[in-house]
Order: sequence, then C-alpha cells, then structure tokens
Amino acid sequence: MIETIYVEDAIQNHPKTKFILNKFKKSRIISINKYGEIFNKRNQNFRIQKANPCLILAHKKDNFVLPAPEGFGIGSSKNFYFSHMYNCIYDCRYCFLQGMYSSANYVIFVNFEDFDISIKKIIENNVDSKVTFFSGYDCDSLALENVTGFAKHILSIFRKYPQIEIEFRTKSLQKEPFLSAKPMRNVILAYSLMPELMSNSLDNKAPSISKRISVISELALKGWKIGLRFDPLIHGENWKELYKELLENIYNNIFLDNLHSVSFGSLRFPKRMFKDIFKLYPHEPLFTSPLSLNNKMISYDIDIEEEMTSFCKNLSLKYINEDQIFKCSI
Amino acid sequence: MNNLKKTKNSIRWVIALKEEAQVILDYYKLKPINEKTIYPIYKNEEETHWLIICGIGRNNAAASTAYLYAYSNASNYTSWINIGIAGSGKGNYGDLYLVDKISTYQRKKSTFPSTLPKANLPKMHLFTSDIPISDYSTCELIDMEGSAFFDIASKLTSKEFICLMKVISDGPENDIKEITRSKISNLIKENLLKIIDVISYYERLSEEEFKIIDKPKLFNEIKSKWHFSATQSYRLETLLRRIEIFCNKKDIEKAIKNCETSNSVINVLNTKIKNNLVNWSKF
Repeated sequence: MIETIYVEDAIQNHPKTKFILNKFKKSRIISINKYGEIFNKRNQNFRIQKANPCLILAHKKDNFVLPAPEGFGIGSSKNFYFSHMYNCIYDCRYCFLQGMYSSANYVIFVNFEDFDISIKKIIENNVDSKVTFFSGYDCDSLALENVTGFAKHILSIFRKYPQIEIEFRTKSLQKEPFLSAKPMRNVILAYSLMPELMSNSLDNKAPSISKRISVISELALKGWKIGLRFDPLIHGENWKELYKELLENIYNNIFLDNLHSVSFGSLRFPKRMFKDIFKLYPHEPLFTSPLSLNNKMISYDIDIEEEMTSFCKNLSLKYINEDQIFKCSI
Repeated sequence: MNNLKKTKNSIRWVIALKEEAQVILDYYKLKPINEKTIYPIYKNEEETHWLIICGIGRNNAAASTAYLYAYSNASNYTSWINIGIAGSGKGNYGDLYLVDKISTYQRKKSTFPSTLPKANLPKMHLFTSDIPISDYSTCELIDMEGSAFFDIASKLTSKEFICLMKVISDGPENDIKEITRSKISNLIKENLLKIIDVISYYERLSEEEFKIIDKPKLFNEIKSKWHFSATQSYRLETLLRRIEIFCNKKDIEKAIKNCETSNSVINVLNTKIKNNLVNWSKF
C-alpha cells in the first residue's frame, strides 16, 4: 500500500499519471514542483523510508537512454540502458541502489513517449552494430509492471526492430504482458537468482527462488527467451552444494532451447557505497562475509571469486554452451 | 549541560505556548530545569524528553529549536516534535492533523515533512504565516512556527525523525479572538491519547536508531587497553560490528588477549572475518 504519492505539477494531467493514480484511490496525493524536492535530498534515512516508501510521479527531462557500463553485457558490441523508475520495491541487501540514493521512495517517470524517441534514435544511429538495451538498471524492470505498464509499452517498440535485443532484468513473478503476447526472439527475460537459503536472508520482500523458477519455466515453455543472472554470487558455508542444487534445479526445469544466456557476477561494492550501506545495516549477516578492499572495490578475495565463478560455469557447461555464458564484471 | 545522559530514546518538543505544552508537561512528567535559559526548558528525570517553550513566530521557533538542540545535547537519532494549535478553513474544530507539506509567503518552494506510517490521523498542508490570518479560504492549516521549526530540525536530523501535529483551534466558524488559555489546553488535552500514540512511534524509532549506531559492546573496553589512532578506531569499530554477529564477547576477548599492539588486534579481527564462512541457515 502506497500511502503518499507526490505528483509533479507539470504532469498532473499526463494520461500515464491519471492511469497510475487511478490504481491508488486511497493514497494521499501531494503536488510538488520537481521530484528533487522529495527525492535524494540530504538528511533522509534510507532504511526508515524503505519500510514505507512513497511514490513520486515525475517528468524525466533528459538522459533517457545511456550507454551501459563496461562489463555489463551479453554479447552485443553496443549496450545501452534505460530506467523508467528509480528504486525498487524489493530490499535486497547487496543491491547498489541502497548506496546510490539517499531516498528509498520510488520515482516513476511518466513520459514514456520520450523514452521511445531516444530508443529509436539510438537504433537508427547504430544500424551496423549488434545492440542490446537493458531495462531496469536503476530499478527492477517488471516489479511494478501492474502499476506502470512500462514493459508492455516498450515491447511495442522492439516488435518493430527484431534485430535489436532488449533485456528486462527482474526478480518479480510478473508474467504479463508476456503470457498474453506472442513471444519475441529479441526479448530476454532475465532473472536474478541465488540459492534459496541465501535468498531468504538477502532478498527481502522479493519472491522466493522456487516461485521465480516456476515463472521462468512457464515463460520459457511459452517461447520467451530467458536469461539467468547469478549476480552476485554469494559465498558461505556449503556454497558449492547450494549452487549445485540451484543450477541443477533450474537447468532440469526449464526448456533449455529458450535459454538465451547465463551470467555470473561477483559481489562488489565501490568503497564509498559499501560504507554507506554498512552504516545503514551494520548488523547484516552479509557483512560478516570475508569482504575486503580489492582494487578500490569491497569484494571477496579474487581466489574466492574465481573459484565460485569457475565452479558455477563448469557445472553449467554440462547443460549449455560456452558461448551462452557471460561474466558480469561491474 | 555537559554531563547529560546518553539515552536510548530521545524526544525533543518545540511548542509555542505554555498552554499548548501543559498537558505534555504533565503526562511525561517534565520539570523545569534548574538553570536560567533564554527560553523555558523542561525535561523528565530520565532525560529522554526535553521540551522548550518557544513563543510565537518563526524566529522564535527557529532559535529555540537550535537552542534546545545545543542545550540538551540532542543526537542524530533524536525525534523532534512540534505540536500546537492552528487555524483551518477545511478541518473540524478540535481535530488533530499531521503535517506533510509546509509553505510560506517568503519561499516559492514548499517543504515536505515525512509522517509516521500507517497513522490513523488525517494529514494536511500547513501554511506558516508571520501574521495572524483571518482569511482561511486558501489554506488547509495555518500556524506561525511550523516552517521554521522544520527548517532547523531537518538540519539536525533526518526528516523521518521530525513530526508536526496541529489541532484546529479557529476557522471561519470559530473566531480566533475567542481562543482562550483554557480552550488551548483543552484542545491539546482532548487529543492526548492520539498524541501519545504518535510519540510512542517516535520513541521506538529513536531507540531502534540508537541500537544501530551505538558503538559495539567491546569497543570501549578494547580501546582502553591498546592505543588506537583515529583511523584504527574506525577500523576497529567496523570490524567489531561485523564480528559481533557471529562471534560472542568471550571468543573475541580470547582471540585478542595476547596482542601487543593495536595493529595486531586489528589483524586478528581481520583474520577472523577472512576465515568466516557465513552459515546462511542461521539467518
């Protein structure tokens, strides 16, 4: 339940604003001039806000689509990302969003039409390159789909460009608009996963791993391309058994012909971000892990990272081809 | 002033009039402090609640909030409360409201206080004026202190620790001239249960924050045995916070008892973290 919704004056009459507000008839609506009046101001407590976040409806002015950071990709030569939303309904303890913004409120940009223009422009400017777009870098791309309808909106764009890939990265169980639409070969539904035991402790408010696998299985069977994102890989007692069980469970339960790619990423925080997150949650079990400063990043030692990645990769190779496996290194 | 107790929950009240404060003073057993101060200040025996009578107007509200902060040695987990009467063209006489938006004549931009979650109390937009207003038609709530209190309090703590509550005392059908001292006290008194309920949330919030930011149990003990530089102290604090989750006090003491220098203490603790295999089934 969203108790308070802040709405920028300029978009009060935008059709998407009305569409979203219609879903929250009991919420208190407060008009604001700019979303910056509420979001990311100093002297906010992310942890307390996270317990009861507000929604902010805003107009995005620029930077609709940005180049993805180095090391973030699944085989294309050019990678871009866009976020129609800032922040996430889930509360995963390893998530960089905790250290990224001082506010836990959700910002939804309602001017989807401006995202369309930017995406089309980039596609037209890169006709000779293999391009992948990533939705949901600053949020979970599908978790609030029933509120925003963003994925449904953006699918219609990519239906016109079958050579351009788009990845929706999520932990949600949201099956629409995919179940009711004809599968598109250029769309990858990518799910973040980790062993259930770890997820129970770390993926707060997110659907269980078994439920995610069930949705993945259903969507793969329906013909949608699936991405499996084991990012971050989490260390701990019996990690080998836990990951073996998880990987085998997934590979044995999904239609592998529709598995697009698998990626493994290590647990990493920029030093400053780790400091902020640790300050928010100093009693979290994740931070009792053997994390230390390595190359300006707080991470597991390189030998742990490599052991985990190669273990998971070798196990995966029993089921999939090497060219389907990627390493996420941001 | 310098020998103040470090309390687990911490509440600071900023209230314009003694009549508005009286019920709060009685309920929380706040007594005047034994020193001459610029504004009247009250506190309870445990020193968890402090209250300042700021007088009318934005200047008084701002100055007294800052004054109470310094005088009572408030922490960054202190909750700040402003309660008082307000005019309204919209609400009912005697009703208590939480404030979630504040505007003034002076500033184009509004400010947006947080409100406690799942509160059963209604919320309104507060307009803080420098002069009494008799035209209630354009404002939900009107007072003379709220914006200044919020501006200063939000520099002292996160806005989640700040609460403004207003009881409607005048409006188109209740002339401001008819407000009396006893009416003011009664308006607050009639809402006391609701106020207590709100305050209990802020007491909990403050206490939870205290637990999070409080130094690890062994921190001072270890610091008294070895000499730590500022950087080492920070490192020690961070390591202890992490280790305390999976290691008890005795084991930590045993591990470091033969250390000769602060550096070796840090190295021992660091090794403990490096060798820790998190047992995820425990969490």
